[in-house]
Amino acid sequence: MTEATVATSPRTAIFGKPDLASADGKAEILIAMQNIWKTYDMGSEKVHALHGVSFEVHRGEYLAITGPSGSGKSTLMNLIGCLDTPSQGDYWLNGKNVSEMDDDELARIRNQEVGFVFQTFNLLARATALHNVELPLIYGGIPGARRHEMAKQALTEVDLVDRMMHRPNELSGGQRQRVAIARALVNHPSILLADEPTGALDTATSYDIMNLFEKLHEEGNTIILVTHEHDIAARAHRVISIRDGLIEKDEQIK
Amino acid sequence: MFPGSAPTNLSTDLAFDQELLPSRKARSFRIGRLAAIWDAFFVAIASLRQNKLRTALTLVGIIVGVTAVIAVVTIIKGLDQTVAQTFSSQGSTVFTISKRPRVITSREDFIKYNKRKDITEDDALAIFRLCSACWRAGIAANDVVPVKHGNQKADAVAVRAIAPPSMFEVDGVTIDAGRFWSEAESNSGQPVCVVGSDIITNFYPNESPEQAIGQDLWAGGHRYRIVGVLQPLGKIFGISRDDRIVIPFATYKKDYGLNIARGAFNTEGSLVIFIQTPSADQLETAEDQVRAIMRNRRGRTFNDEDDGFALETEDVFLKLYSGATSNIYLVTIGVAAISLVVGGIVVMNIMLVSVTERTKEIGIRKAVGARRKDILTQFLIEAVMVTAIGGAFGVLTGFGTAWLIALAIGFPLLFSIWSAVLGVGVSSIVGVISGLWPAWRAARLDPIDALRAE
Repeated sequence: MTEATVATSPRTAIFGKPDLASADGKAEILIAMQNIWKTYDMGSEKVHALHGVSFEVHRGEYLAITGPSGSGKSTLMNLIGCLDTPSQGDYWLNGKNVSEMDDDELARIRNQEVGFVFQTFNLLARATALHNVELPLIYGGIPGARRHEMAKQALTEVDLVDRMMHRPNELSGGQRQRVAIARALVNHPSILLADEPTGALDTATSYDIMNLFEKLHEEGNTIILVTHEHDIAARAHRVISIRDGLIEKDEQIK
Repeated sequence: MFPGSAPTNLSTDLAFDQELLPSRKARSFRIGRLAAIWDAFFVAIASLRQNKLRTALTLVGIIVGVTAVIAVVTIIKGLDQTVAQTFSSQGSTVFTISKRPRVITSREDFIKYNKRKDITEDDALAIFRLCSACWRAGIAANDVVPVKHGNQKADAVAVRAIAPPSMFEVDGVTIDAGRFWSEAESNSGQPVCVVGSDIITNFYPNESPEQAIGQDLWAGGHRYRIVGVLQPLGKIFGISRDDRIVIPFATYKKDYGLNIARGAFNTEGSLVIFIQTPSADQLETAEDQVRAIMRNRRGRTFNDEDDGFALETEDVFLKLYSGATSNIYLVTIGVAAISLVVGGIVVMNIMLVSVTERTKEIGIRKAVGARRKDILTQFLIEAVMVTAIGGAFGVLTGFGTAWLIALAIGFPLLFSIWSAVLGVGVSSIVGVISGLWPAWRAARLDPIDALRAE
């Protein structure tokens, strides 16, 4: 418990920092899920979406979370993405215990630590690609000129800088998803969290997007992919299968 | 392995965090409020432009409300100004002695005042003789008579009988053509008159004021020679102040007599004495002297509460006017403000629709790091922007409406920058109040539910 206190107080932790990670050469732990429960109160009965899930993710991993619908996969994704907090258990993300944070603190973590990629892209329909990519920077308080520059750089990375003044309805599905990926990357988050990122795309485009994820992984990004498609999950290096709110399998495939 | 090792390893992650300059990040997050607010302006503008019909309806709601309030306030201020100017034309150096005060508020008072003695020429002479602080003094009687010239006829024209001729100056009127009558004409009761500009318009329609000089006019069955025409005084509340004839008091007495019970004789045999002091600071002294002279003439002792006459300054009437009208004004403004409240409800309604329509957008914004405050600010700015723009338009249309009404009735207007500022300010406050609940609802949306919307 004392260790937990140390970790929640970053200043103390910085001053008393042990340099264990670089000593054994292994990447540090980015995500630590410790006995996570999620219970929904449905009137008379309680529904357990997750019953005691524990796992760790190291920096630079490429992880897929799979499972049939109703397995608790989406719940887990919401927790990892800090859109929700667990009913029980601790979730450590990049040195911070996010399991007991309030709405505004979670918003800040989402802004700084998580980059979302959604199945339906979730871009602002009336805004240009550039403005969409700038959005996290606005809430991150980056000044205008710097914001512009960072957004352009992120769009360059997904090869869409020539389309930056287009609105989503002027872009193809694959292009929209690449805008969404640029938006997810622009704030240099700790994790890139993709929820069925190819679900709304045709096979060829899906392939492009998966190649892009691969490239981003090679550049050092930590990627967590939530999918029910096996061939998509197979592109990852590690696969966690969820069933009935529990981890069924956790295997390193590459 | 997880429970023990996680925190120790996590602390090493902070080294990475430090590399990212967490302190700068934290600070910029705070400074970022400004960036977010600035962005919210553009988001608001974009959103308002995207929904033109919705924006237009909201604007109309606010414009109508602000127009009503601004028009009412402007007209009232104009009226106040007109009244103040009209009743202070004689200046703050003039006071009057009359049998009854100009305003009587109860039947009992009316009966009491009627029992008083009439104000007579003797009273006036006593004041002229005894009041050392007085500069000029005069007497006046008012009547209404039928007037005729050629084919032109009018049943009721105001006649004011005054003496001496310096009463023109006390009355604050100036000559446009011809002259005032002379002291000699006044004393001997010559059949001369000075007329208001409307008399020329009505009875000498094809002649200029200069051409009317020297012509005759029949009033109340007597013939008067026009010696002068007055500068127009204009209208007050649609009633002309230039439709009158002024004759010497001696002439009036000769032609009509005094103390004759005639219903049309407004002063009913009692005169009004006008007293002017050389300067405003002598007004009080003069009033005291005149009060003492008159109480003495009415046989009043120190114990008598009632003077037996009415001593009034011009601003007494002004005070009474503002006292009587201020409540009416408040009610009028209040009624006009109801339309502003309705405008506020329109804004709230439309904002609520907007929040529902844009649930998905709110979800996206929250997913990428917008906090409750950010969403709240965005929707509030949107509401305030619409209402402030509506307020600005409303001020313009309000001034326009007031101007049209003033043109129709005929009084000068006072366009004050303060009512413009107030109009925009109040409508912005309406925006905040009516935008607060919808914005709060938007801010409270659960990001997961919001993302799932559509």
